[in-house]
Amino acid sequence: MKPGIGQYTILGVLAIGFLYPIWWAISSSFKPPNDIVTDPLTLSGPTLHNYQAMFADVPIGTGFANTALVLVVKGAMTMVFCPLAGYAFAKFTFPGKNVLFGVVLLTLMLPTLVLIIPLLLEMSALGWVNTYQALILPGSIDAFSIFWMRQTIAAIPTELIDAGRVDGASELGIFVRVVLPVIRPGLAALAVLTTMNVYNDFVWPVVAVNDTEHQTLQVVLSTLAQNITGNRIGSDFTTVWGELLAAGSVAMVPLLVIFVLLQRHFINGILAGSVKG
Amino acid sequence: MRVRTWLTPYVFVSPFFLVFAAFGVYPLIFALQLSFTRWRGAGEATFVGLGNYSYLLSSPDFWASLGNSAVMWVLIVPIQVVAGLGAAVLLANAKLRLRGFFRVAFIAPFVTPLVAMAQVWIVVFDTDYGLVNYLLNLVGLPDVGWLTSTTWSKPTLALLVLWKTTGFAIIILLAGLQAVPGQVYEAASLDGASRWRQFWSLTVPLVRRSIAFLVVVQTLAVFQMFAEPFVVTQGGPYGSTETAGLYLFDHISASDLGTGAANSFLLVLLVFGLSLGAVRLLRPKDGTS
Repeated sequence: MKPGIGQYTILGVLAIGFLYPIWWAISSSFKPPNDIVTDPLTLSGPTLHNYQAMFADVPIGTGFANTALVLVVKGAMTMVFCPLAGYAFAKFTFPGKNVLFGVVLLTLMLPTLVLIIPLLLEMSALGWVNTYQALILPGSIDAFSIFWMRQTIAAIPTELIDAGRVDGASELGIFVRVVLPVIRPGLAALAVLTTMNVYNDFVWPVVAVNDTEHQTLQVVLSTLAQNITGNRIGSDFTTVWGELLAAGSVAMVPLLVIFVLLQRHFINGILAGSVKG
Repeated sequence: MRVRTWLTPYVFVSPFFLVFAAFGVYPLIFALQLSFTRWRGAGEATFVGLGNYSYLLSSPDFWASLGNSAVMWVLIVPIQVVAGLGAAVLLANAKLRLRGFFRVAFIAPFVTPLVAMAQVWIVVFDTDYGLVNYLLNLVGLPDVGWLTSTTWSKPTLALLVLWKTTGFAIIILLAGLQAVPGQVYEAASLDGASRWRQFWSLTVPLVRRSIAFLVVVQTLAVFQMFAEPFVVTQGGPYGSTETAGLYLFDHISASDLGTGAANSFLLVLLVFGLSLGAVRLLRPKDGTS
């Protein structure tokens, strides 16, 4: 059935609703601070004033560097260990497999908030408060990614893997040369999801780190929001709004670029991975 | 040289279990122990038995935080499932033009950083200078206290969550829809079933599993919601956005760690029960899955 004008209207309105806040935030960040407040609708400028003020005000560069570091290490661990575990759960039979996979599924249900307090105490016992290992190690190999990879790898025909065995490849060799190439879209989706999770992670970085040197990008951003509440009555709160939008835009763009570059793989990976229950 | 021993799968899954043992099991046991004590993070911990639990269960603030989260759930999950399914059905149409564009547009909010967008929400929904009230004034309507009135604070926060995550819901539901073979619809059309009937008796049962997945994931997320109220409203006005997650965090800020740990476990029980309930309610009646 060909979609009619009504359907296009609904989808079009939804698309505008989803995209407009992003466009508004980025375009407004280039307006003079006063215009953001007095005339939020029309464009003016462009000026880099908000960006200069923001870079002078908060250590956003440090935030970026810290997030990037956490992202690289956590991302590498996820991309190596989660497909490997998913492979074992999908294609091997071994005693205790169901129990172990049950544990993985149970941890999926565990709210992060439950572990925050004891984890924080564990960090101080280890002397890890305000360190990179505190930001990186807890939750570095997460259950959802393993579950996801198991679903994806389970869809690979077992004959393909057996063919590799006949050729005399080692188990690790089969994993690298047979399994990984086949699940490439799933890996792309995993990469995007992991990037987003690490990039957006907020509760743990807020409690695990309390010095500016180790703050991640999201934490640096949130300190700006606290300024705004503090300055709500003060004369310079228009300046803070401008900085807020500039900081938001700077934080948004890298993720949007990664997403646009990988979107086909990302969406296809999710579509492929979630079909088989 | 072929290396294949019975050990291989255990080696493959071991990294997860090592990390989980160190940063999952240990803190869990410790938290359970902590929940039976009164401890302010320093000095001696006093054993108080179930004191923390009974304190919370009789505390109006605790129930208020659960109530706030429950309202957020009502404002988010049903709307997201219905709207997401509607949009997914439209997107699943193979004859739709601009399909790729719509998919990207819908999921773009999902990849924006949460804290950044929460801040945009503060600016856009500001009572005196925000864009939304500016637009309302243009058409002659009065200001609305989106984030400053107890009536609107929850819907405004819910809108942030809906805006940010509905695209993901659409993709998940789309995946479920695409698993439905086209022949099923053709057969139904030949039988003369109306499109509305097709939707209810064919589409909905077939995407049941995707809906269940979505409801469970979103229930977990809503009852743990923290960053949105923390950044946008700090729980206000008058505690109207003090969600379960934020209330739990307040114990940490106040160094009341025993109560916080007890609160965590009550929250786990609740979330666990809700997820199980959702899975059971949405399970296909024919017993598959």
